[in-house]
Amino acid sequence: MWTTLFVSSLSLGSFYTLIALGFALIFGVTRNFNLAHGELVVLAGYVSYWLWKIWAFPFILTFPAAILITLLICLGLERLFAHLYEPQELNSIVLSFGIAVVIQNSMLFFFSGDYRLIRIPVLSRGFHILGVYISYTQTTLLGLSLIILLMLYVLMYRTYLGKAMRATIQDKDAAALAGINVAAMGTLAFCIGAVLIGIAGPLYGCIHYLYPSTGREATLVAVTITIFAGVGRLSGIILAGWILGLAESFTVVFFGVSWREMVSAVLLLALLSFRPHGILGHGER
Amino acid sequence: MNSKPKNDQNFMALLLKGFFIIFCLLSLIFPIETSFAGVIKIGEIDPLSGRLAKNGIEIHQGIEVAVAEANAKGGIGGARLELVTRDDQSRPDVAISRAEELCTWEKVAALTGGYVDALVGPIAAVSQRCKTPYVASASLQKELAAHKNPYFFRVSRLQGFVEPLCRFMAERFKGQRLAILYAATPGSTELAQDLKRCLEKQDLAVRLMEKFRPGTPDFTPLIAKLAGMKIDVIVSGGFTPDHILFIRQLKENRMSPKAYIGPFGIAYESFISALGNDADYLYTTCAWNPGITMPGTEKASASFVSDFQKTFHHQPNTTNMHGYTSARAIIAAMQKVWDNRQTVNGENIRNALSKLDMALPMEHLSFDANGDPTHYHQVIVQIQKGKLVVIYPPDRASGHDIYPMPSWEQRN
Repeated sequence: MWTTLFVSSLSLGSFYTLIALGFALIFGVTRNFNLAHGELVVLAGYVSYWLWKIWAFPFILTFPAAILITLLICLGLERLFAHLYEPQELNSIVLSFGIAVVIQNSMLFFFSGDYRLIRIPVLSRGFHILGVYISYTQTTLLGLSLIILLMLYVLMYRTYLGKAMRATIQDKDAAALAGINVAAMGTLAFCIGAVLIGIAGPLYGCIHYLYPSTGREATLVAVTITIFAGVGRLSGIILAGWILGLAESFTVVFFGVSWREMVSAVLLLALLSFRPHGILGHGER
Repeated sequence: MNSKPKNDQNFMALLLKGFFIIFCLLSLIFPIETSFAGVIKIGEIDPLSGRLAKNGIEIHQGIEVAVAEANAKGGIGGARLELVTRDDQSRPDVAISRAEELCTWEKVAALTGGYVDALVGPIAAVSQRCKTPYVASASLQKELAAHKNPYFFRVSRLQGFVEPLCRFMAERFKGQRLAILYAATPGSTELAQDLKRCLEKQDLAVRLMEKFRPGTPDFTPLIAKLAGMKIDVIVSGGFTPDHILFIRQLKENRMSPKAYIGPFGIAYESFISALGNDADYLYTTCAWNPGITMPGTEKASASFVSDFQKTFHHQPNTTNMHGYTSARAIIAAMQKVWDNRQTVNGENIRNALSKLDMALPMEHLSFDANGDPTHYHQVIVQIQKGKLVVIYPPDRASGHDIYPMPSWEQRN
């Protein structure tokens, strides 16, 4: 039981990571607190569902379409956020809340209030290893989150573009003084964020279920993990996802399901009190 | 000096006459819509957006069919029924303001709609304040009916679930290891507690009682716990999305209980179509379905299905029927008031509702002193090859259940 629980917790944490990555990147670079993030994840899921169910697209081929749609929307969002006055964080919350409501109601109108599931039979199968049953869903989530993080790591730490983005995350004004096109970095962050949302959405429909208002849950997960990891610290995100997944799972087993959210909240409060710069943070840089 | 005031008086008199003539002409062109003249207003508050939108829209559709049906028959004493619908956005605070608006501004004769007790409760309180009868479409919490609100009625009640479930489980699952999971909502919590009490009276021990938040994103640890405890029968008081995720994750983790019972949110075409074969062998309860109706009401049921399909182009479900039943109750009460040559107002409708006695496809509808329906009973059904098969009570059974349900390995 314990090994199964451990594996499923890591898989849950990886799922959280995939949902949070786009949000964390956009917030880190542009300081825009995108409350419509979850709705975009769900919308990407709906795009994938529709192509898979109605047009009988192979599931894997629905990802590019979902990415394209989220890319277009995110570029539109970036333009809207660019016109906001200071304080940017606060105004972006207000604007994105409105956008979230619009997206949510549009999804209700276009996709109805029925619960939608993307059912990929192969993902519900699995294999036994050392007496533990591991499903392909769990391995996919673990593998995909690690691959995406690795790619992001290479981009951020091994390319000039990544250095420029990290400089923007650390200090926007200093980066601008150093000749970095901060506005272009913002656009790039939105584009990468859109790709990540476009990947997370179809998986969301495959692992969870699609419903117009479920985006709020996804946003909450993204915000929690981002705070947990520390703003702008992409490397801490998977660690934060796993810790949260493990904490939630073991709380359910030892104390009951109703304590699950309480533990997440307590962990978050403790972190904000004792390590306000995130789980891997070392104070102001 | 005196001529000026006199001129003013003449001018004022002329102006007043002018207004009076315009008012009379406008009254002829646009007759004033009062509740008790050409139009009778029925107020409806449902969650048409937000997390309960799906259920709210279904309730609304059922109400719409009932009102259209009544209007097609000539309304109430020649007066057309007008449905004034408001969206509570799945939020109790909005439900209160919408109810107040309907009572005080729209001056509706009665209220209906409402899904889940958290939204029905606030509307019931407003209905009492403004003395407007309210027939709730979907409400279970016992406390709501215990408030002695003479204006509150509902077409469903908790014991309609608990009694048949308890009897069925006591007969079928003797000696099995049971777990009851329930959502943190008043209705689901009361169902779990009442069912546990009832099962224990029947010598069935419940090994685990576990509460969860509706919309919980992951049940895997709970499934591991259930597997560790070797639970045979799971009763889950969650709602449609909770069941979808739970079943998905049961399959993913290859945990195969002998039976899974979900009293709420399973007996729906959309649920079965979303889960496909994985929905097979699940037990649930059902008050009505196009193929499951109260004996003797087959014709009325078929007529509702036909009207519904003409309007919405798909099959109705049990939630649609709850909306339809609540609106039918109000319309029948209004008709009674009219037949008795009384004014169609809140007080008279309330009195007529308390004496109502009518056979509808979902139930034989009459209310007790607390506004609870006296004959509301669910039947136990099992999904077999994507269809709902009634398995309990024996007098309404259309087939036998398959127990234990095959393991996931056997099903693939």
